[in-house]
Amino acid sequence: MKYRARLFSWKKPFDTEQTEELFLKAVRENCRFQYDHCKAYRKILDYFGFLPEDLKECEDMERLPFLPTWVFKNHTLFSMPERRMLIKATSSGTKGKFSRIGFEFGGLWNGLKMVLRIGRWRKLFSLCPVHYIVLGYKPHKGNQTAVTKTAYGATLFTPALSRTFALKMKNGSYEPDLEGVIAAIVKHSKGHFPVRFMGFPSYLYFVLQIMEEQEIFVKLPKGSKILLGGGWKQFYTEQVDKQTLYALAEKVLGVKESEVIEFFGAVEHPILYCDCPRHHFHVPVYSRVMIRDVDTLKPVENGQIGLVNLISPMTLATPILSIMTDDLGILHEGKECGCGISSPYLEILGRVGLKDIQTCAAGAAKYLSQEEKG
Amino acid sequence: MILYKGQLYETSCQGELLRQMERNINDTRSNRRLDISKVIEAVDCIRQKLEAGDYDEKLASLGMEGMEEQLKAVIAMTDRRALEYRLSVELGELKDPLITGQPLVRMNEPKPEGSLSNIETQILPLGTLFHIAAGNREGLPVYSVLEGLLTGNVNILKLPQADQGLSIEIIRTLVEVEPSIAEFVYVFDTPSSDLDAMRSMAAMSDGIVVWGGEEAVAAVRRFAPVGAQIIEWGHKLSFAYLSGLSGIKEERLNEELQALAEHIVSTRQLLCSSCQVIYLDQEEMEEIYAFCRRFLPYLERAAARFPAKTPGMQAELSLRRYCDTLNKIILEESIEEQRVFSGKNCSLTACSDRELELSDMFGNCLVKRLPKREMMQVLRRNKGYLQTAGLLCPETIRHELTALLADCGLVRITTVGRMSETFLGEAHDGDYALRRYVRVVDVEN
Repeated sequence: MKYRARLFSWKKPFDTEQTEELFLKAVRENCRFQYDHCKAYRKILDYFGFLPEDLKECEDMERLPFLPTWVFKNHTLFSMPERRMLIKATSSGTKGKFSRIGFEFGGLWNGLKMVLRIGRWRKLFSLCPVHYIVLGYKPHKGNQTAVTKTAYGATLFTPALSRTFALKMKNGSYEPDLEGVIAAIVKHSKGHFPVRFMGFPSYLYFVLQIMEEQEIFVKLPKGSKILLGGGWKQFYTEQVDKQTLYALAEKVLGVKESEVIEFFGAVEHPILYCDCPRHHFHVPVYSRVMIRDVDTLKPVENGQIGLVNLISPMTLATPILSIMTDDLGILHEGKECGCGISSPYLEILGRVGLKDIQTCAAGAAKYLSQEEKG
Repeated sequence: MILYKGQLYETSCQGELLRQMERNINDTRSNRRLDISKVIEAVDCIRQKLEAGDYDEKLASLGMEGMEEQLKAVIAMTDRRALEYRLSVELGELKDPLITGQPLVRMNEPKPEGSLSNIETQILPLGTLFHIAAGNREGLPVYSVLEGLLTGNVNILKLPQADQGLSIEIIRTLVEVEPSIAEFVYVFDTPSSDLDAMRSMAAMSDGIVVWGGEEAVAAVRRFAPVGAQIIEWGHKLSFAYLSGLSGIKEERLNEELQALAEHIVSTRQLLCSSCQVIYLDQEEMEEIYAFCRRFLPYLERAAARFPAKTPGMQAELSLRRYCDTLNKIILEESIEEQRVFSGKNCSLTACSDRELELSDMFGNCLVKRLPKREMMQVLRRNKGYLQTAGLLCPETIRHELTALLADCGLVRITTVGRMSETFLGEAHDGDYALRRYVRVVDVEN
């Protein structure tokens, strides 16, 4: 996997233009591996008459069969024996179905290089110890979701003095402990060490709202940061009005907008998407995004709305080389952002769905509700 | 919210009200009969107000889709003459005896010898109807109750979960106009999961009217008492049947195909009467492909005129279709030979099988072969689900094909553009609804 190694060692994390050729080679290399080691993947490629070696030009990636996340929720597709996988993560299946994705050492090693590169670019690392406030789940052996793992993992960026969790396991289920979080914020605001928030934006929003209502305003020590992340769902355009959130963070915690850093990733596409200072998610070298027409599933031009197809050669253990999300999004030209990064940036608009359709055609109700199972 | 004898109650009063309801209904039924002409009067009165725009503000606040169309249909349906006409069509000679309470008189039919001469036939309401209405169309719960009132029944209505108070509002207005209706309508917002309450309502009823899909009907069959009549208005499937197209004049064919396309797109294929499959009276797949190529531009033109679908909905359908294929590849199931002809916001799928089935809806229609001689065998597999067939063929064979479709079990046979159009006095899924809500009482004098 020499091309993958070279891609994930690339110095400039957003240099997508210069890495086109390398990216294609890494995809071809990964595709061949999946084709040889995963029977289901081979069957799919055979059905569509596509061979890994058909990836000759960048444009050929359009024709590479993509796997919707639905597939990983309903089938176990592994390209390696499970003993070789270091981590088996599941997506936070809010509807009860989980994707089962395995990661092998090589993939994780490359992932780590990616995290370090991106983290350094966004100045996430420092030797100065901090207090962590995790707006998410406290790890528990019954919780395999990647969100828990990344939220906890991110607390390893810098030395931790303390960790406070917003969701705690009580009597077998997670319960929010927002009061405990507020008490910790107030306590740390009087100390010398910076505070770092990590987790779901919606929880931060709740916490800040409560503090504002109760007129608890603090000024957190210099160097404090807010790191927001989670699954895709957290980043729907209208989930939380971000400007409101930034303004509230400054008013209640004294943390400036530039210190609010957002990132997201999905188990099925474990690439760290971290926002630029203008809060746009530019595509890093490790990943390519294709927006596909909702009718024909053919790629559309930048600026057009469509289904979000993500490609990355990071993982060998599971054929998540080219996956299709359930989300609608738009890929914008990089220069529209103005932050200086030229790679295009992705905007997620929301999940597709057929809810609230009224019908009396026989069988339709059942058909429409299949979505719930997916 | 509960509406009980014209009074509003909180949902929490349900248990108490249910305990006294049987006594109340029995009292009503032993002492009073509903004057059907007064019901007609009251409905017509509301119709006039509706037409005059008295409820415009209230209706606007509901923000319903295609409101004006629906309103027009409601106004046409609730006109006094329309209601009288409907009673005449559906009840025929039973109408007058039901309304006047006088025995049925058979003027021109001399009784054959041997029959009892001193028998008098009376027409009475079935008794108490328990309506379990589906939430898939606004106004449906009220419509169902109205049918019960037009036949003089006591009506218990279980509202669908999706009802946002419109039904109670309309029934209250009706009771205000005609207070004698009050004790003939009981409305509950009981959830379907409250089986005890559902059972006790069913136990008080002579007929259970259930609207909805298979699950709703199956649930009612489970809890209904053995003696109760179950009147099912279940979900149905419809299709278009095209035969001998080369024998149709170009101009007419053009118009008909455009009308079919507009029907498919404008109903979004969500109705019982919406075309799910276009059947061609053909043997060869090549003919199916040729038709898809020919018909797609019509469908595209229609889709451009009725942009009803959001990108999210279309995305979901495309993804589901793709996932279906992947699923079959992974499980090594045979993949039905299909060819999709995609257009902007619509598609035609040429299938090699012959089954009548639900399409992907929203302008995504299936096209299949169905030679005339196989029609019975294939369509009988969907008995109980057959509703409308839109028929397009040369006039010379129309009569023959209509008869064949009717014999197969179809209950509406129309031109392809009018599959979903309603008309005054039409039957409901092959039956006259009102006829099922009355009973015949023979009395020996």
